Amino acid sequence: MAAHNDNAAYEKQKKAVWVATVIMGVVTILEVAVALSWPEAWGRGVLNLLFILMSAVKAVFIVGEFMHLRYEMRAMMISILAPCLFLVWFLIAFMMEGQSWLALREFWN
Amino acid sequence: MAADTHLEKETEQVQDIWNGGTEPMKASYGKLMMWYFILSDAFTFASFLIMYAALRMSAEVWPDPNAVFNSFPFVHGTKLPLGFVTVMTFILILSSVFVVRAVQEGHRMNKNGVLLWMFWGIVGGAAFLGCQAWEWNHLIHQGLTLTSNPFGYYTTPQVVEGQTVDVFQGYVNLAYDHEADSFSLPEDNKGTKGEEIPANASHSEGNWLFGCLFFFITGFHGFHVSTGVLMNIILWIQAARGVYQRRGHYEMVEKIGLYWHFVDLVWVFVFLAFYLL
Repeated sequence: MAAHNDNAAYEKQKKAVWVATVIMGVVTILEVAVALSWPEAWGRGVLNLLFILMSAVKAVFIVGEFMHLRYEMRAMMISILAPCLFLVWFLIAFMMEGQSWLALREFWN
Repeated sequence: MAADTHLEKETEQVQDIWNGGTEPMKASYGKLMMWYFILSDAFTFASFLIMYAALRMSAEVWPDPNAVFNSFPFVHGTKLPLGFVTVMTFILILSSVFVVRAVQEGHRMNKNGVLLWMFWGIVGGAAFLGCQAWEWNHLIHQGLTLTSNPFGYYTTPQVVEGQTVDVFQGYVNLAYDHEADSFSLPEDNKGTKGEEIPANASHSEGNWLFGCLFFFITGFHGFHVSTGVLMNIILWIQAARGVYQRRGHYEMVEKIGLYWHFVDLVWVFVFLAFYLL
């Protein structure tokens, strides 16, 4: 009975991995298709947001399923994911910095 | 007597705790440390990508990725924007999946399963490195280096508020002359959108930071892939020699696997930063 359960769980895991693979493949194709077919008139703003969202989906699958952080203890998940919150401000601050460099360059030109 | 044994046992357990004998977070020491190494490495990569974001924000003109990455090996004359990098991304994702399968087989103590899937994981990693080598080689031949950038733009003089200024008109992939080490307008005199470049236009090289950041960041990622492939090969040899079978578990496959998936994770963001945005 135990062996049977193990086998069923193994088959389930196997299936979950291939499902994750197909989803990631489809998202990648979607990204490239959107990049190539996006009309210029619609602007880059929404497009970039779409790209970031689709990349986030892939990142969640890699970290959650492939690295199976989803199935670890809650404390371990938090100890790894919480420090990454620092990166949010890191990114925002340096993008603002970059804009400021551009403004200064244009001013002095 | 019975109470004594009980006390002894409890003292032993307490001693175990003082000696670090318990597993924090129900993960082995090695696995936990691999995770924290990955966390620190994620910060390193994030710093590079954020530096890229800041410098790109500070640039007035930045190359259009669809016009830069449009070549495919053995395909001449046809532009396939983002075609090759999509193949590279698939290869790396698949390689990651193969390693997940190896971990699953390791759980079942199936040595041949581990060897089979690790083998395909190694093949995937090596194929990715080969693709990257081709892409680098191709871009360097086009004249992209750490300091020069053929993916430029052209401007035309226009009168704005009584002053003549050069106004940005479009992107152009400049032709690189190896002998003279200089850039000129392409032979067909067309911009990246296939439009004719007017006679009064003047062209400029693209921002030199593009090549610098591209080679540095994809190079650092490629270095991670190389070390990952090396570790996978060592793991395969160890598994083939029955080291893990004798040890009674295949946890090493999972630990090395974590690193391998992390390399795939970083590629998602490198792909986002350089090829999509």
